[in-house]
Amino acid sequence: MKKIPVTVLTGFLGSGKTTLLNRILTEQHGKRIAVIENEFGEIGIDHALVINADEEVFEMNNGCICCTVRGDLIRILGNLMKRRDKFDHILVETTGMADPGPVAQTFFVDDELRDLFALDGIVTLVDARHVHLHLDDSNECREQIAFADVLVLNKTDLVTAAELDALERRVRGMNSMARVLRAKDADVPIASVLDVGGFDLDRAVEAKPTFLTPEYPFEWAGTFELAEGVYELALDDGPDPEMGLLAAHLAGDELASSRACADRAMHVWSEGATSVAPSATVDVGAAQPASLVLAGDGTKRFFLRVRRAGRVGLYTEHLPSEFQLRLLRDGVPLQAVAEEAFAAGHTHDEQVTSVGIHREGTIDGDRLNAWVSKLLREKGGDIFRMKGILNIAGMANRYVFQGVHMLFDGREDRPWGATPRANDLVFIGRKLDREALTRGFEQCLS
Amino acid sequence: MTARGGPAPRTQLAPRWQHSLGDYVAAAEITRDGRLCVSASGVGTVCGVEVATGRELFRVQAHDGAVLGLSVSPDGARFATCGRGPGAKVWSAAGELLHELPGGASGWVEHVAWAPAGGRVAVAAGRSVRVWSAEGSLVTEVAPLASTASGLAWSADGSELAAACYGGVHFWPIAAGAAPRHLPWKGSLISLAWSPDGKVIACGSQDSSVHFWRLPAGRDSEMSGYPIKPRALAWDAESKLLATTGGVSVTLWDFRGKGPEGTRPIELEGHMGVCTRLAFSPRKGVLASGGQDAGVLLWEPRRGTRPTGFAFLEDDVTALVWHPEHRGLLGGDAAGNLTFWEAG
Repeated sequence: MKKIPVTVLTGFLGSGKTTLLNRILTEQHGKRIAVIENEFGEIGIDHALVINADEEVFEMNNGCICCTVRGDLIRILGNLMKRRDKFDHILVETTGMADPGPVAQTFFVDDELRDLFALDGIVTLVDARHVHLHLDDSNECREQIAFADVLVLNKTDLVTAAELDALERRVRGMNSMARVLRAKDADVPIASVLDVGGFDLDRAVEAKPTFLTPEYPFEWAGTFELAEGVYELALDDGPDPEMGLLAAHLAGDELASSRACADRAMHVWSEGATSVAPSATVDVGAAQPASLVLAGDGTKRFFLRVRRAGRVGLYTEHLPSEFQLRLLRDGVPLQAVAEEAFAAGHTHDEQVTSVGIHREGTIDGDRLNAWVSKLLREKGGDIFRMKGILNIAGMANRYVFQGVHMLFDGREDRPWGATPRANDLVFIGRKLDREALTRGFEQCLS
Repeated sequence: MTARGGPAPRTQLAPRWQHSLGDYVAAAEITRDGRLCVSASGVGTVCGVEVATGRELFRVQAHDGAVLGLSVSPDGARFATCGRGPGAKVWSAAGELLHELPGGASGWVEHVAWAPAGGRVAVAAGRSVRVWSAEGSLVTEVAPLASTASGLAWSADGSELAAACYGGVHFWPIAAGAAPRHLPWKGSLISLAWSPDGKVIACGSQDSSVHFWRLPAGRDSEMSGYPIKPRALAWDAESKLLATTGGVSVTLWDFRGKGPEGTRPIELEGHMGVCTRLAFSPRKGVLASGGQDAGVLLWEPRRGTRPTGFAFLEDDVTALVWHPEHRGLLGGDAAGNLTFWEAG
């Protein structure tokens, strides 16, 4: 019997969950949908059954966080199955303050629900105008974003384009796995929220371009054609008192944002930055990145020394626009040949982040197993979700996995075919130690 | 009907009658006098069938969705049903609506239990538990539970009512002035079965264990190791064997002597799918089990661990109830089929 897909809708009060729900229910899709609501709404649509539930979070006697489930869902979904003519889809709308963890876990921990239902995705609505009020002080708000497969930035008409870009960067930094959609009145295509496959291993790693883009410690790469000489870097006040910058020589017609160049830059970046005060000089091709000191008001000027003419890649920790960064020669601003912004992998003091790891090579299955077991045992409570595709020694096929807290689900998938063998994994969680995770994973390479 | 392997055909149960309820058999009961079978479906239908003949006596649309609870009064004159909707309903044995018993704020009324004596019926809706008279007046309403009631049962003499929920079992004596009490358990209890002699309360727990308390002291024990959460519990008439199932096998705990703590349970293997229903006959220690393999098996666990009889329905077995005089066994399935087999 085919499992019934379940979509979980989360988001703070006023983020537009009810509007989206109404859109889904009124659209002519021919599906019989049951809606489980945790907040008393006024929805009453003929072809949908709407059930009000009391949010009941149950911890199991063993106290394990992964066994925290929603008792109300177990009962209600069990009762809904007592009929021959089953529902085509279940929508669970959580309260604004709900923790999505127990909701997701319920579908993996409870044997009865696991047999009958398949969690399709967690869709989180974000009120673009007001979410910043909650992002800094609400765990629930951060967790709803962290758990999401789809993030709908809603009410985009109430913010400026720059504010929206900044918000998108910020939420992508927290959750690099999710697909981000923008909407005015929750007007997203129904298929983009109802058929997500977020927990389906066959689809878990497809159609998510950002998932496979490695994360860099810099947000921007620009390619410049520069002659030998000294250039000026001017920066105005920005969000941080320091900013990391790396300037590297590029060969021929290479682009700074290309995978090879960016990987090389990342390697240099990991050497740790040297602090550089205004009026000091940064060398192209230095063995370490510079940390530009931007304390104090007004424009700060630094010098960039080019010892040999050719292409130069500039990598910046934040977007140049955040500091009005200019590269000048004799007072004239220079245009980049090409530039590209990257999803913010590191984010400013963010409690919830994504850590993406991309490594070529082959993984030793035993070492991976030992590492993941230890990691989940020690940090499982802080790891909300994870996904990956791995190249495991001795396996002809890709190994795919996904997890929620300490619940881990992995198996062999299809052959690699023409795709180059590599390892990509993403962790989303609280207080994740990027270096420790990367180092731990590297030790699994055989 | 074809046998799908298993025991020898000569032990196949003979059906006396078959009837279609039309949809998922959510509950079924037989009156104490053995005359009337009441069954309820997943789409709210309630149907009365004469046990002797299989003739349909009435059919009513009782609820706007699955019937979640059904309980027949001890004198067989009435029965109560509940489900989605604002309250429970009390019906005559002819299927006439007598009165409605308003539930709490919850949209679901999940449990009804008619007291074995005293003409009272208890109704649990969400965290609220109310006791009504047979005539439909409110006798008592207990303080709201910490979470939704997941099981409801009266003691055999009707003097006390018990409800299981997340966090333990609550008891309310019906006698005026007696204090209610609570047996705590840090976990989610999902079902409740009170031994006929009133000495043991057994509960299935979400964390794949069975928990029980000996009354009145409240000394408790946990039986763990089930592969999945226990779906069904049943006591034998002597209150000595507790049948449980959380998986394909049936596990029986023997309460004779100092057991069952420290003893090995009796394991009954025979189902080819998860076993979900258990019913002990009031006589002869015969146990019936039903599962997701559509199979119904009979056992005499005191005599051996091989099935002594079998039958098949067409879909998952969703209801099993014995005739009170052991004259037959009623089974219902997820496709809406009802079958009454001769006890043999």
